[in-house]
Amino acid sequence: MTSSLMQLKNVTMKFGGVTALSEVTFDVKKQEILGLIGPNGAGKTTVFNVITGVYQITSGEIIFDGKSLSGMKRYKITKRGVARTFQNIRLWGDMTALENVMTATDTHKKSGLVSGLFGFPVSRREEKRDKARAQELLDFIGIGEYADRLAKNLPYGVQRRLEIARAMGAEPKLLLLDEPAAGFNPAEKVELAATIRKIRDAGYTVLLIEHDMSLVMRVSDRVVVLDFGQKIADDSPRKVQDDPRVIEAYLGVPEDAS
Amino acid sequence: MINLRDKGAEIWERQGRLGRVGIALGGLAIAAALPFMGGTILNTPIADYESVLVYPIAMYVLMAIGLNIVIGKSGLLDLGYVAFFAIGAYTMGLLGTKTDLNTWEILPIGIAMAMFSGIILGVPALKLRGDYLAIITLGFGEIVRIVALNLGALGRSEGIINIPTPPAIFGIEYRFDSHRIYYWTLLVLILFAIWMVRRLSVRRAGRAWESIRQDEDAAELLGVPTFKYKVWAFVLGASVGGAAGVFYASKTLFIAPDNFTLQISILILACVVFGGMGNIWGVILGAVILGYLPDRIRFISDARLLVFGLVLVIMMNLRPDGLLPRKKREKAIVKKDAL
Repeated sequence: MTSSLMQLKNVTMKFGGVTALSEVTFDVKKQEILGLIGPNGAGKTTVFNVITGVYQITSGEIIFDGKSLSGMKRYKITKRGVARTFQNIRLWGDMTALENVMTATDTHKKSGLVSGLFGFPVSRREEKRDKARAQELLDFIGIGEYADRLAKNLPYGVQRRLEIARAMGAEPKLLLLDEPAAGFNPAEKVELAATIRKIRDAGYTVLLIEHDMSLVMRVSDRVVVLDFGQKIADDSPRKVQDDPRVIEAYLGVPEDAS
Repeated sequence: MINLRDKGAEIWERQGRLGRVGIALGGLAIAAALPFMGGTILNTPIADYESVLVYPIAMYVLMAIGLNIVIGKSGLLDLGYVAFFAIGAYTMGLLGTKTDLNTWEILPIGIAMAMFSGIILGVPALKLRGDYLAIITLGFGEIVRIVALNLGALGRSEGIINIPTPPAIFGIEYRFDSHRIYYWTLLVLILFAIWMVRRLSVRRAGRAWESIRQDEDAAELLGVPTFKYKVWAFVLGASVGGAAGVFYASKTLFIAPDNFTLQISILILACVVFGGMGNIWGVILGAVILGYLPDRIRFISDARLLVFGLVLVIMMNLRPDGLLPRKKREKAIVKKDAL
Protein backbone atom coordinates (compact mmCIF):
# COMPACT_ATOMS: atom_id res chain seq x y z
CA MET A 1 0.00 0.00 0.00
CA THR A 2 1.26 3.47 -0.83
CA SER A 3 2.08 5.84 1.99
CA SER A 4 -0.37 8.47 3.10
CA LEU A 5 -0.05 12.15 2.27
CA MET A 6 -2.57 13.51 4.73
CA GLN A 7 -4.35 12.17 7.75
CA LEU A 8 -7.39 13.56 9.48
CA LYS A 9 -7.56 12.25 13.03
CA ASN A 10 -10.78 12.63 14.98
CA VAL A 11 -11.42 16.02 13.46
CA THR A 12 -14.31 17.82 15.12
CA MET A 13 -15.61 21.20 14.05
CA LYS A 14 -18.27 22.94 16.09
CA PHE A 15 -19.97 26.24 15.34
CA GLY A 16 -21.54 27.19 18.65
CA GLY A 17 -23.99 24.37 19.31
CA VAL A 18 -23.85 22.96 15.80
CA THR A 19 -21.44 20.14 15.15
CA ALA A 20 -20.45 20.31 11.49
CA LEU A 21 -17.86 17.56 11.69
CA SER A 22 -17.76 14.94 14.38
CA GLU A 23 -14.70 12.78 14.96
CA VAL A 24 -13.94 12.46 11.28
CA THR A 25 -10.96 10.24 10.57
CA PHE A 26 -9.58 9.30 7.18
CA ASP A 27 -6.35 9.48 5.31
CA VAL A 28 -5.42 10.48 1.79
CA LYS A 29 -2.81 8.36 0.09
CA LYS A 30 -0.22 9.67 -2.28
CA GLN A 31 -1.33 9.90 -5.89
CA GLU A 32 -4.85 8.69 -5.38
CA ILE A 33 -8.15 10.27 -6.30
CA LEU A 34 -10.25 10.26 -3.19
CA GLY A 35 -13.93 11.06 -3.65
CA LEU A 36 -15.69 12.83 -0.80
CA ILE A 37 -19.45 12.53 -1.04
CA GLY A 38 -22.51 12.94 1.10
CA PRO A 39 -25.94 14.55 1.03
CA ASN A 40 -26.31 18.32 1.24
CA GLY A 41 -25.09 19.67 4.56
CA ALA A 42 -23.05 16.57 5.33
CA GLY A 43 -19.92 18.68 5.95
CA LYS A 44 -17.95 18.13 2.76
CA THR A 45 -17.00 21.74 2.14
CA THR A 46 -16.31 22.10 5.86
CA VAL A 47 -13.65 19.41 5.46
CA PHE A 48 -12.01 21.57 2.77
CA ASN A 49 -12.30 24.63 4.97
CA VAL A 50 -10.60 23.00 7.95
CA ILE A 51 -7.82 21.57 5.79
CA THR A 52 -7.07 24.92 4.18
CA GLY A 53 -7.21 26.79 7.47
CA VAL A 54 -10.38 28.78 6.83
CA TYR A 55 -11.68 27.37 10.12
CA GLN A 56 -9.65 26.27 13.12
CA ILE A 57 -10.80 22.83 14.17
CA THR A 58 -12.36 22.39 17.60
CA SER A 59 -10.46 19.19 18.32
CA GLY A 60 -8.52 16.51 16.53
CA GLU A 61 -5.54 16.79 14.27
CA ILE A 62 -4.73 17.21 10.60
CA ILE A 63 -1.32 15.92 9.57
CA PHE A 64 -0.13 16.87 6.11
CA ASP A 65 3.10 15.51 4.75
CA GLY A 66 4.31 14.69 8.24
CA LYS A 67 3.41 17.98 9.85
CA SER A 68 0.37 19.28 11.69
CA LEU A 69 -1.54 22.02 9.89
CA SER A 70 -3.33 23.41 12.91
CA GLY A 71 -2.70 27.07 13.61
CA MET A 72 -0.76 27.48 10.38
CA LYS A 73 -1.53 30.60 8.33
CA ARG A 74 -3.64 29.97 5.25
CA TYR A 75 -1.10 31.04 2.69
CA LYS A 76 1.54 28.90 4.43
CA ILE A 77 -0.71 25.85 4.17
CA THR A 78 -0.92 26.55 0.46
CA LYS A 79 2.82 26.92 0.30
CA ARG A 80 3.24 23.58 2.04
CA GLY A 81 1.27 21.95 -0.72
CA VAL A 82 -2.51 22.19 -0.42
CA ALA A 83 -4.50 24.17 -2.95
CA ARG A 84 -8.19 24.28 -3.64
CA THR A 85 -10.92 25.35 -5.99
CA PHE A 86 -14.18 26.92 -4.91
CA GLN A 87 -17.69 25.59 -5.22
CA ASN A 88 -18.96 29.03 -6.22
CA ILE A 89 -16.34 30.25 -8.66
CA ARG A 90 -14.02 32.78 -7.06
CA LEU A 91 -11.64 33.82 -9.77
CA TRP A 92 -10.19 37.31 -9.88
CA GLY A 93 -12.46 38.54 -12.64
CA ASP A 94 -10.51 41.64 -13.66
CA MET A 95 -7.35 39.65 -14.30
CA THR A 96 -6.65 37.55 -17.34
CA ALA A 97 -6.62 33.77 -17.14
CA LEU A 98 -2.85 33.77 -17.29
CA GLU A 99 -2.57 36.35 -14.52
CA ASN A 100 -4.91 34.31 -12.36
CA VAL A 101 -2.60 31.33 -12.61
CA MET A 102 0.55 33.43 -12.22
CA THR A 103 -0.75 34.93 -8.99
CA ALA A 104 -0.85 31.39 -7.64
CA THR A 105 2.57 30.47 -9.02
CA ASP A 106 3.95 33.49 -7.16
CA THR A 107 3.50 31.38 -4.00
CA HIS A 108 6.89 29.76 -4.45
CA LYS A 109 8.79 32.80 -5.69
CA LYS A 110 11.88 33.86 -3.87
CA SER A 111 11.75 37.36 -5.27
CA GLY A 112 9.23 39.78 -3.83
CA LEU A 113 8.37 43.41 -4.01
CA VAL A 114 11.83 44.92 -3.58
CA SER A 115 13.60 42.81 -6.18
CA GLY A 116 10.66 43.43 -8.52
CA LEU A 117 11.00 47.17 -8.04
CA PHE A 118 14.68 47.26 -8.84
CA GLY A 119 14.45 44.59 -11.50
CA PHE A 120 16.94 42.18 -9.93
CA PRO A 121 17.82 39.33 -12.28
CA VAL A 122 16.20 36.80 -9.92
CA SER A 123 12.88 38.56 -10.30
CA ARG A 124 13.12 38.68 -14.08
CA ARG A 125 14.16 35.03 -14.28
CA GLU A 126 11.34 33.85 -12.03
CA GLU A 127 8.83 35.97 -13.89
CA LYS A 128 9.84 34.37 -17.14
CA ARG A 129 9.81 30.86 -15.71
CA ASP A 130 6.41 31.32 -14.06
CA LYS A 131 4.81 32.79 -17.13
CA ALA A 132 5.87 29.74 -19.09
CA ARG A 133 4.65 27.49 -16.30
CA ALA A 134 1.26 29.23 -16.14
CA GLN A 135 0.77 28.86 -19.87
CA GLU A 136 1.79 25.23 -19.61
CA LEU A 137 -0.87 24.64 -16.95
CA LEU A 138 -3.56 26.34 -19.01
CA ASP A 139 -2.61 24.12 -21.95
CA PHE A 140 -2.60 21.08 -19.68
CA ILE A 141 -6.17 21.80 -18.58
CA GLY A 142 -7.10 22.52 -22.17
CA ILE A 143 -7.85 26.23 -22.00
CA GLY A 144 -4.56 27.58 -23.27
CA GLU A 145 -6.23 29.67 -25.97
CA TYR A 146 -8.00 31.78 -23.33
CA ALA A 147 -4.79 32.91 -21.61
CA ASP A 148 -5.18 36.60 -22.44
CA ARG A 149 -8.91 36.91 -21.79
CA LEU A 150 -10.26 38.47 -18.62
CA ALA A 151 -11.49 35.77 -16.28
CA LYS A 152 -14.93 37.33 -15.89
CA ASN A 153 -15.53 37.27 -19.63
CA LEU A 154 -14.80 33.57 -20.00
CA PRO A 155 -17.55 31.01 -20.60
CA TYR A 156 -18.72 29.19 -17.50
CA GLY A 157 -17.05 25.90 -18.29
CA VAL A 158 -13.72 27.59 -18.95
CA GLN A 159 -13.99 29.44 -15.64
CA ARG A 160 -14.46 26.13 -13.84
CA ARG A 161 -11.39 24.72 -15.53
CA LEU A 162 -9.44 27.88 -14.84
CA GLU A 163 -10.15 27.39 -11.14
CA ILE A 164 -8.37 24.05 -11.38
CA ALA A 165 -5.45 25.49 -13.35
CA ARG A 166 -5.10 28.30 -10.81
CA ALA A 167 -5.01 25.87 -7.90
CA MET A 168 -2.40 23.82 -9.73
CA GLY A 169 -0.40 27.01 -10.16
CA ALA A 170 0.38 26.92 -6.46
CA GLU A 171 2.19 23.60 -7.17
CA PRO A 172 0.26 21.63 -4.57
CA LYS A 173 0.89 18.05 -3.59
CA LEU A 174 -2.77 17.79 -2.71
CA LEU A 175 -5.41 19.33 -4.92
CA LEU A 176 -8.83 19.93 -3.41
CA LEU A 177 -11.59 20.14 -6.00
CA ASP A 178 -14.92 21.41 -4.73
CA GLU A 179 -17.66 20.32 -7.13
CA PRO A 180 -15.66 20.93 -10.31
CA ALA A 181 -18.43 19.49 -12.49
CA ALA A 182 -21.27 21.64 -11.14
CA GLY A 183 -23.36 22.82 -14.07
CA PHE A 184 -21.59 20.66 -16.62
CA ASN A 185 -23.43 18.66 -19.26
CA PRO A 186 -22.72 14.91 -19.57
CA ALA A 187 -20.17 15.35 -22.34
CA GLU A 188 -18.26 17.94 -20.33
CA LYS A 189 -18.34 15.66 -17.32
CA VAL A 190 -16.71 12.86 -19.24
CA GLU A 191 -14.04 15.27 -20.39
CA LEU A 192 -13.51 16.51 -16.83
CA ALA A 193 -13.16 12.94 -15.54
CA ALA A 194 -10.37 12.42 -18.04
CA THR A 195 -8.73 15.67 -16.94
CA ILE A 196 -8.84 14.67 -13.29
CA ARG A 197 -7.22 11.35 -14.06
CA LYS A 198 -4.61 13.16 -16.11
CA ILE A 199 -3.89 15.41 -13.14
CA ARG A 200 -3.40 12.39 -10.90
CA ASP A 201 -1.14 10.74 -13.46
CA ALA A 202 0.96 13.91 -13.49
CA GLY A 203 1.81 13.20 -9.85
CA TYR A 204 -0.83 15.10 -7.92
CA THR A 205 -3.10 13.72 -5.23
CA VAL A 206 -6.73 14.72 -5.63
CA LEU A 207 -9.46 15.06 -3.04
CA LEU A 208 -12.72 15.50 -4.90
CA ILE A 209 -16.09 16.70 -3.71
CA GLU A 210 -18.76 15.97 -6.26
CA HIS A 211 -22.50 15.49 -6.37
CA ASP A 212 -22.59 13.62 -9.63
CA MET A 213 -22.38 10.00 -8.53
CA SER A 214 -21.48 8.53 -11.88
CA LEU A 215 -18.52 10.91 -12.13
CA VAL A 216 -17.30 10.17 -8.62
CA MET A 217 -17.65 6.45 -9.06
CA ARG A 218 -15.89 6.60 -12.40
CA VAL A 219 -12.79 8.52 -11.36
CA SER A 220 -12.26 7.80 -7.67
CA ASP A 221 -9.88 5.18 -6.41
CA ARG A 222 -11.60 5.33 -3.06
CA VAL A 223 -14.65 7.10 -1.67
CA VAL A 224 -15.33 8.58 1.76
CA VAL A 225 -18.98 9.20 2.60
CA LEU A 226 -20.08 11.80 5.12
CA ASP A 227 -23.52 12.19 6.62
CA PHE A 228 -24.44 14.79 9.25
CA GLY A 229 -20.77 15.42 9.90
CA GLN A 230 -19.89 11.79 10.48
CA LYS A 231 -18.00 9.38 8.32
CA ILE A 232 -20.27 6.51 7.43
CA ALA A 233 -18.21 4.74 4.78
CA ASP A 234 -14.67 4.63 3.44
CA ASP A 235 -14.06 2.07 0.72
CA SER A 236 -13.74 1.37 -2.97
CA PRO A 237 -16.45 2.93 -5.16
CA ARG A 238 -18.07 -0.43 -5.83
CA LYS A 239 -18.38 -1.39 -2.17
CA VAL A 240 -19.55 2.06 -1.12
CA GLN A 241 -22.38 1.92 -3.66
CA ASP A 242 -23.71 -1.24 -2.09
CA ASP A 243 -23.27 -0.12 1.51
CA PRO A 244 -26.71 -0.06 3.16
CA ARG A 245 -25.79 2.94 5.34
CA VAL A 246 -24.84 4.96 2.29
CA ILE A 247 -28.05 4.04 0.50
CA GLU A 248 -29.96 4.97 3.62
CA ALA A 249 -28.25 8.34 3.88
CA TYR A 250 -29.05 9.18 0.30
CA LEU A 251 -32.47 7.63 -0.13
CA GLY A 252 -33.82 7.35 3.40
CA VAL A 253 -35.15 4.18 5.01
CA PRO A 254 -38.14 2.60 3.33
CA GLU A 255 -41.21 2.76 5.55
CA ASP A 256 -41.86 -0.95 5.50
CA ALA A 257 -38.29 -1.80 6.36
CA SER A 258 -38.19 -4.09 9.34
CA MET B 1 -19.65 60.05 -23.99
CA ILE B 2 -16.49 58.91 -25.77
CA ASN B 3 -14.25 56.59 -23.88
CA LEU B 4 -11.07 58.59 -23.43
CA ARG B 5 -9.26 55.84 -21.60
CA ASP B 6 -9.68 53.29 -24.39
CA LYS B 7 -8.86 55.89 -27.06
CA GLY B 8 -5.68 56.82 -25.24
CA ALA B 9 -4.69 53.21 -24.62
CA GLU B 10 -5.32 52.40 -28.27
CA ILE B 11 -3.08 55.18 -29.51
CA TRP B 12 -0.41 54.11 -27.03
CA GLU B 13 -0.53 50.46 -28.02
CA ARG B 14 -0.34 51.19 -31.73
CA GLN B 15 2.96 53.02 -31.26
CA GLY B 16 6.32 51.42 -31.63
CA ARG B 17 9.06 52.03 -29.11
CA LEU B 18 10.02 55.32 -30.74
CA GLY B 19 6.45 56.58 -30.81
CA ARG B 20 6.02 55.80 -27.13
CA VAL B 21 9.19 57.61 -26.15
CA GLY B 22 7.93 60.50 -28.26
CA ILE B 23 4.56 60.61 -26.49
CA ALA B 24 6.20 60.34 -23.07
CA LEU B 25 8.67 63.13 -23.83
CA GLY B 26 5.93 65.27 -25.37
CA GLY B 27 3.75 64.87 -22.29
CA LEU B 28 6.69 65.66 -20.06
CA ALA B 29 7.55 68.75 -22.11
CA ILE B 30 4.00 70.06 -21.80
CA ALA B 31 4.02 69.43 -18.04
CA ALA B 32 7.41 71.14 -17.72
CA ALA B 33 6.26 74.12 -19.78
CA LEU B 34 3.18 74.79 -17.69
CA PRO B 35 4.80 77.55 -15.59
CA PHE B 36 5.28 79.63 -18.77
CA MET B 37 1.62 79.53 -19.64
CA GLY B 38 0.55 82.03 -17.01
CA GLY B 39 -0.43 84.55 -19.69
CA THR B 40 -2.93 82.21 -21.34
CA ILE B 41 -6.43 81.13 -20.44
CA LEU B 42 -4.92 78.79 -17.86
CA ASN B 43 -4.07 81.72 -15.62
CA THR B 44 -5.73 81.74 -12.24
CA PRO B 45 -7.27 85.07 -11.29
CA ILE B 46 -6.36 86.42 -7.84
CA ALA B 47 -4.16 83.45 -6.86
CA ASP B 48 -0.60 83.43 -8.15
CA TYR B 49 -0.62 81.00 -11.06
CA GLU B 50 2.86 79.58 -10.59
CA SER B 51 2.34 79.05 -6.92
CA VAL B 52 -0.94 77.25 -7.60
CA LEU B 53 1.02 74.89 -9.85
CA VAL B 54 3.21 73.90 -6.90
CA TYR B 55 0.52 73.78 -4.26
CA PRO B 56 -2.08 72.43 -4.61
CA ILE B 57 -1.66 70.96 -8.10
CA ALA B 58 1.72 69.20 -8.14
CA MET B 59 1.50 68.36 -4.45
CA TYR B 60 -1.96 66.83 -4.92
CA VAL B 61 -0.75 64.82 -7.90
CA LEU B 62 2.11 63.38 -5.87
CA MET B 63 -0.11 62.51 -2.93
CA ALA B 64 -2.84 61.09 -5.14
CA ILE B 65 -0.32 58.75 -6.76
CA GLY B 66 0.69 57.58 -3.30
CA LEU B 67 -2.87 57.13 -2.07
CA ASN B 68 -3.72 55.29 -5.27
CA ILE B 69 -1.33 52.50 -4.29
CA VAL B 70 -3.39 51.99 -1.15
CA ILE B 71 -6.92 52.55 -2.45
CA GLY B 72 -6.78 51.97 -6.18
CA LYS B 73 -4.35 49.08 -6.31
CA SER B 74 -5.08 47.11 -3.19
CA GLY B 75 -8.57 48.36 -2.37
CA LEU B 76 -7.81 49.48 1.18
CA LEU B 77 -9.84 52.53 2.12
CA ASP B 78 -7.48 54.94 3.89
CA LEU B 79 -9.14 58.08 5.21
CA GLY B 80 -6.13 59.34 7.15
CA TYR B 81 -3.60 59.73 4.40
CA VAL B 82 -2.84 63.30 5.51
CA ALA B 83 -1.06 61.80 8.54
CA PHE B 84 1.89 60.71 6.40
CA PHE B 85 2.00 64.11 4.73
CA ALA B 86 2.07 65.70 8.18
CA ILE B 87 4.76 63.34 9.45
CA GLY B 88 6.97 64.18 6.47
CA ALA B 89 6.35 67.89 6.95
CA TYR B 90 7.05 67.86 10.67
CA THR B 91 10.20 65.81 10.19
CA MET B 92 11.39 68.52 7.83
CA GLY B 93 10.25 71.26 10.19
CA LEU B 94 11.97 69.83 13.25
CA LEU B 95 15.21 68.65 11.70
CA GLY B 96 15.42 71.68 9.43
CA THR B 97 15.22 74.16 12.31
CA LYS B 98 16.98 72.20 15.06
CA THR B 99 19.84 70.59 13.15
CA ASP B 100 22.20 71.44 10.33
CA LEU B 101 20.69 68.90 7.98
CA ASN B 102 19.38 70.34 4.74
CA THR B 103 16.26 69.40 2.79
CA TRP B 104 17.98 66.83 0.59
CA GLU B 105 19.38 65.06 3.63
CA ILE B 106 16.05 65.22 5.46
CA LEU B 107 14.07 63.90 2.49
CA PRO B 108 15.09 60.25 3.01
CA ILE B 109 14.65 60.62 6.79
CA GLY B 110 11.17 62.03 6.28
CA ILE B 111 10.29 59.20 3.90
CA ALA B 112 11.64 56.67 6.40
CA MET B 113 9.61 58.24 9.22
CA ALA B 114 6.45 58.10 7.12
CA MET B 115 7.13 54.50 6.16
CA PHE B 116 7.79 53.58 9.77
CA SER B 117 4.51 55.14 10.85
CA GLY B 118 2.88 53.28 7.98
CA ILE B 119 4.03 50.06 9.62
CA ILE B 120 2.93 51.23 13.08
CA LEU B 121 -0.54 52.00 11.73
CA GLY B 122 -0.73 49.19 9.22
CA VAL B 123 0.20 46.20 11.35
CA PRO B 124 -2.72 46.51 13.77
CA ALA B 125 -5.17 48.22 11.41
CA LEU B 126 -4.81 45.92 8.43
CA LYS B 127 -6.17 42.99 10.39
CA LEU B 128 -9.48 44.76 9.84
CA ARG B 129 -11.27 45.21 6.56
CA GLY B 130 -13.48 47.64 4.73
CA ASP B 131 -15.34 50.18 6.82
CA TYR B 132 -13.48 49.30 10.00
CA LEU B 133 -10.15 49.96 8.37
CA ALA B 134 -11.49 53.28 7.10
CA ILE B 135 -12.52 54.29 10.62
CA ILE B 136 -9.13 53.39 12.13
CA THR B 137 -7.20 55.30 9.48
CA LEU B 138 -9.55 58.25 9.92
CA GLY B 139 -8.71 58.18 13.62
CA PHE B 140 -4.99 57.94 12.91
CA GLY B 141 -5.09 61.02 10.71
CA GLU B 142 -6.75 62.99 13.48
CA ILE B 143 -4.39 61.62 16.16
CA VAL B 144 -1.35 62.87 14.28
CA ARG B 145 -2.86 66.35 13.87
CA ILE B 146 -3.95 66.52 17.52
CA VAL B 147 -0.55 65.37 18.77
CA ALA B 148 1.03 68.15 16.71
CA LEU B 149 -1.47 70.57 18.19
CA ASN B 150 -0.61 69.63 21.76
CA LEU B 151 3.06 68.74 21.76
CA GLY B 152 5.28 71.63 22.83
CA ALA B 153 8.20 70.37 20.77
CA LEU B 154 6.08 70.66 17.64
CA GLY B 155 5.08 74.23 18.38
CA ARG B 156 1.44 73.49 19.24
CA SER B 157 -1.01 75.61 17.24
CA GLU B 158 1.73 78.07 16.26
CA GLY B 159 3.48 75.30 14.39
CA ILE B 160 7.06 75.59 13.22
CA ILE B 161 8.41 78.69 11.53
CA ASN B 162 11.55 79.54 9.60
CA ILE B 163 11.94 76.19 7.95
CA PRO B 164 14.88 76.48 5.55
CA THR B 165 14.47 76.23 1.81
CA PRO B 166 16.42 73.51 0.02
CA PRO B 167 20.06 74.44 -0.63
CA ALA B 168 21.21 74.84 -4.20
CA ILE B 169 21.75 71.62 -6.05
CA PHE B 170 23.42 71.24 -9.46
CA GLY B 171 23.64 75.04 -9.48
CA ILE B 172 19.89 75.44 -9.17
CA GLU B 173 18.91 77.85 -6.43
CA TYR B 174 15.74 77.59 -4.42
CA ARG B 175 14.41 81.01 -3.47
CA PHE B 176 11.11 80.97 -1.65
CA ASP B 177 9.45 82.89 -4.48
CA SER B 178 10.95 80.93 -7.37
CA HIS B 179 7.93 78.73 -7.73
CA ARG B 180 8.83 77.17 -11.02
CA ILE B 181 11.99 75.65 -9.56
CA TYR B 182 9.90 73.95 -6.90
CA TYR B 183 7.42 72.87 -9.51
CA TRP B 184 10.08 71.20 -11.60
CA THR B 185 11.56 69.47 -8.59
CA LEU B 186 8.13 68.13 -7.71
CA LEU B 187 7.81 66.96 -11.29
CA VAL B 188 10.94 64.88 -10.79
CA LEU B 189 9.49 63.39 -7.60
CA ILE B 190 6.24 62.64 -9.43
CA LEU B 191 8.12 60.92 -12.25
CA PHE B 192 9.94 58.82 -9.69
CA ALA B 193 6.64 57.85 -8.04
CA ILE B 194 5.12 56.94 -11.43
CA TRP B 195 8.16 54.82 -12.22
CA MET B 196 7.84 53.01 -8.90
CA VAL B 197 4.13 52.29 -9.29
CA ARG B 198 4.36 51.16 -12.89
CA ARG B 199 7.32 48.97 -12.13
CA LEU B 200 5.58 47.24 -9.24
CA SER B 201 2.31 46.89 -11.10
CA VAL B 202 3.55 44.44 -13.71
CA ARG B 203 5.09 41.88 -11.42
CA ARG B 204 4.33 39.87 -8.33
CA ALA B 205 3.34 42.83 -6.16
CA GLY B 206 0.88 44.11 -8.76
CA ARG B 207 -0.81 40.74 -9.03
CA ALA B 208 -0.88 40.29 -5.27
CA TRP B 209 -2.56 43.70 -4.78
CA GLU B 210 -5.00 43.10 -7.59
CA SER B 211 -6.01 39.72 -6.19
CA ILE B 212 -6.40 41.20 -2.70
CA ARG B 213 -8.61 43.95 -4.07
CA GLN B 214 -10.85 41.54 -5.92
CA ASP B 215 -11.14 38.66 -3.47
CA GLU B 216 -8.91 38.70 -0.44
CA ASP B 217 -9.93 35.29 0.90
CA ALA B 218 -9.33 33.57 -2.40
CA ALA B 219 -5.96 35.32 -2.61
CA GLU B 220 -4.86 34.05 0.76
CA LEU B 221 -6.03 30.52 0.03
CA LEU B 222 -4.02 30.48 -3.16
CA GLY B 223 -0.83 31.39 -1.41
CA VAL B 224 -0.70 35.20 -1.53
CA PRO B 225 0.74 36.53 1.76
CA THR B 226 -2.07 39.05 1.89
CA PHE B 227 -1.16 40.74 5.13
CA LYS B 228 2.41 41.37 4.05
CA TYR B 229 1.33 42.90 0.76
CA LYS B 230 -1.30 45.06 2.41
CA VAL B 231 1.32 46.44 4.79
CA TRP B 232 3.63 47.02 1.83
CA ALA B 233 0.90 48.97 0.03
CA PHE B 234 0.43 51.10 3.13
CA VAL B 235 4.14 51.67 3.57
CA LEU B 236 4.75 52.61 -0.06
CA GLY B 237 1.75 54.93 -0.03
CA ALA B 238 3.11 56.48 3.15
CA SER B 239 6.56 56.98 1.61
CA VAL B 240 5.12 59.09 -1.20
CA GLY B 241 3.02 61.09 1.26
CA GLY B 242 6.09 61.63 3.44
CA ALA B 243 8.15 62.88 0.50
CA ALA B 244 5.37 65.31 -0.39
CA GLY B 245 5.30 66.49 3.23
CA VAL B 246 9.03 67.17 3.44
CA PHE B 247 8.93 69.19 0.29
CA TYR B 248 5.80 71.04 1.31
CA ALA B 249 7.39 72.19 4.56
CA SER B 250 10.52 73.26 2.76
CA LYS B 251 8.45 75.28 0.31
CA THR B 252 5.98 77.05 2.58
CA LEU B 253 8.63 77.68 5.28
CA PHE B 254 5.92 77.49 7.91
CA ILE B 255 3.73 74.61 9.00
CA ALA B 256 0.96 74.35 11.56
CA PRO B 257 -1.55 71.66 12.48
CA ASP B 258 -4.17 73.55 10.47
CA ASN B 259 -2.39 72.54 7.27
CA PHE B 260 -3.05 68.89 7.97
CA THR B 261 -6.76 68.56 8.53
CA LEU B 262 -9.09 65.75 7.56
CA GLN B 263 -10.10 67.89 4.60
CA ILE B 264 -6.79 67.13 2.88
CA SER B 265 -7.35 63.38 3.24
CA ILE B 266 -10.82 63.74 1.78
CA LEU B 267 -9.61 65.92 -1.07
CA ILE B 268 -6.85 63.53 -2.07
CA LEU B 269 -9.34 60.70 -1.88
CA ALA B 270 -11.64 62.76 -4.12
CA CYS B 271 -8.76 63.19 -6.61
CA VAL B 272 -8.30 59.42 -6.75
CA VAL B 273 -12.00 58.61 -7.11
CA PHE B 274 -12.73 61.49 -9.47
CA GLY B 275 -9.83 60.65 -11.75
CA GLY B 276 -10.38 56.89 -11.76
CA MET B 277 -9.31 54.56 -8.99
CA GLY B 278 -6.46 52.29 -9.94
CA ASN B 279 -5.54 54.10 -13.15
CA ILE B 280 -2.46 56.20 -12.51
CA TRP B 281 -3.11 58.58 -15.43
CA GLY B 282 -6.69 59.05 -14.33
CA VAL B 283 -5.56 59.78 -10.80
CA ILE B 284 -3.06 62.36 -12.05
CA LEU B 285 -5.70 64.02 -14.21
CA GLY B 286 -8.13 64.03 -11.30
CA ALA B 287 -5.59 65.64 -8.99
CA VAL B 288 -4.71 68.28 -11.58
CA ILE B 289 -8.34 69.23 -12.09
CA LEU B 290 -9.34 69.19 -8.44
CA GLY B 291 -6.22 71.13 -7.49
CA TYR B 292 -6.67 73.68 -10.21
CA LEU B 293 -10.41 74.25 -10.36
CA PRO B 294 -10.99 76.00 -7.01
CA ASP B 295 -8.31 78.58 -7.84
CA ARG B 296 -9.44 78.98 -11.43
CA ILE B 297 -12.93 79.95 -10.33
CA ARG B 298 -11.77 82.02 -7.40
CA PHE B 299 -13.33 85.15 -8.98
CA ILE B 300 -16.79 83.96 -8.01
CA SER B 301 -15.46 84.03 -4.45
CA ASP B 302 -18.05 82.74 -2.02
CA ALA B 303 -19.88 80.52 -4.45
CA ARG B 304 -16.73 78.77 -5.60
CA LEU B 305 -16.83 75.82 -3.23
CA LEU B 306 -20.48 75.37 -4.11
CA VAL B 307 -19.65 75.26 -7.80
CA PHE B 308 -16.73 72.95 -7.07
CA GLY B 309 -19.01 70.56 -5.22
CA LEU B 310 -21.59 70.75 -7.99
CA VAL B 311 -18.99 69.87 -10.62
CA LEU B 312 -17.96 66.87 -8.54
CA VAL B 313 -21.52 65.64 -8.15
CA ILE B 314 -22.35 66.05 -11.83
CA MET B 315 -19.13 64.38 -12.95
CA MET B 316 -19.54 61.44 -10.63
CA ASN B 317 -23.04 60.93 -11.95
CA LEU B 318 -21.90 60.99 -15.54
CA ARG B 319 -18.80 58.92 -14.99
CA PRO B 320 -19.11 56.91 -11.79
CA ASP B 321 -15.80 55.12 -12.40
CA GLY B 322 -13.90 58.37 -12.75
CA LEU B 323 -12.55 60.29 -15.72
CA LEU B 324 -10.16 57.56 -16.84
CA PRO B 325 -11.36 54.37 -15.20
CA ARG B 326 -9.29 51.33 -14.42
CA LYS B 327 -8.57 49.26 -17.47
CA LYS B 328 -11.31 46.88 -18.41
CA ARG B 329 -9.62 45.86 -21.57
CA GLU B 330 -7.54 42.80 -21.98
CA LYS B 331 -4.19 44.09 -20.83
CA ALA B 332 -1.66 42.62 -18.60
CA ILE B 333 -0.18 42.52 -15.15
CA VAL B 334 2.41 40.41 -16.87
CA LYS B 335 5.08 42.08 -18.89
CA LYS B 336 4.58 41.33 -22.55
CA ASP B 337 8.23 40.64 -23.16
CA ALA B 338 8.62 38.35 -20.17
CA LEU B 339 8.56 35.29 -22.37
